[in-house]
Amino acid sequence: MPTDARTTPLVNQRLYRVVRGAVVLLLTGILVAGFLGRIPQLDILEQSARNLYFHVPMWFSLMAATIVSAYHSAQYLRSGNRIRDLRAREAARIALIFGGLGIVTGMVWARFTWYEGTGVWWNFDPKQSMAAVLLLIYGGYFVLRDAIDAPNTRGRIAAVYNLFAVVTMPFLLYILPRQMPSLHPGGEGSPAFSQTDLAPAMRWVFYPSVLAFLGLCWLLYTQRVRLAWLQEKLRKIELASGPRDEAGV
Amino acid sequence: MTIHPIRSDDALTYRPAQERPDSTSAYDSTWTEQPAAQSPTGLDRIMGQGGKIYVVLAVVLLIWIGLVTVLFRTDRKIDRLERRLDRHISDDE
Repeated sequence: MPTDARTTPLVNQRLYRVVRGAVVLLLTGILVAGFLGRIPQLDILEQSARNLYFHVPMWFSLMAATIVSAYHSAQYLRSGNRIRDLRAREAARIALIFGGLGIVTGMVWARFTWYEGTGVWWNFDPKQSMAAVLLLIYGGYFVLRDAIDAPNTRGRIAAVYNLFAVVTMPFLLYILPRQMPSLHPGGEGSPAFSQTDLAPAMRWVFYPSVLAFLGLCWLLYTQRVRLAWLQEKLRKIELASGPRDEAGV
Repeated sequence: MTIHPIRSDDALTYRPAQERPDSTSAYDSTWTEQPAAQSPTGLDRIMGQGGKIYVVLAVVLLIWIGLVTVLFRTDRKIDRLERRLDRHISDDE
């Protein structure tokens, strides 16, 4: 099978380098502005409100990565093109990474503010708990992949599972938590935050931060896709010519 | 994205029986005015200093360490791939 990936690169090199530079510059600026910029006076949260710039973009990244993953899963079911399966898998991996970071940073944030002095690390906040469920669902995606050997079957079944998984995402992360009393803004259940609910002073740092982390997501994702495709090509070469080892002929 | 809360008196007429964020007591222990708590001890005290700026530092560090881990693991995979490729190239020569 002709490897068309040789003539059409997986990602535009110039675009990649431009995005990389922009993300690095932007994130450096976010770090500086995040720590030095002015924020509104808040009870309980105080300076930790700055975590808005770092914790929340993790979730935007998760949502974007799950949507990208589902898109490629859908395309894989249509075309059977192996690269689509790889893209879906790597996007799901990025989703898990950023989701995990989001959960952990959320735990640390809550532990020393709303739960100061209580020793409580996990407070069963609706959004927190549902986000954990979502991560388990996406963890299941990888367990499922490992359970199937044949690449085509694996790709198809994993793709179907992925499409189910992405449907749960808006409900778990967005719709359900807002119906319940919650520490997270949106349910009017967090007075400490609702005074701001995005104070104008914070918007200037928050929106660029979301963009920067989305860009970072994309960089890591394309890196891993290129890596996965290289592994794939090498496997094909080895299958064609027989695997070699150090002592082999 | 602005969220427009219903005024509390309207909300009561729409769904009187349903527990709502502004009427529930589920989170009373965390944010209603409590009698002055004893001053925090141990880890709580350390993290509470400087207006809890160290909480922000912890979050940023966690994200940074996570990203650096991804970076190093990807590099290791690339190394392994290059070695496999080199073996092939040297075998074919």
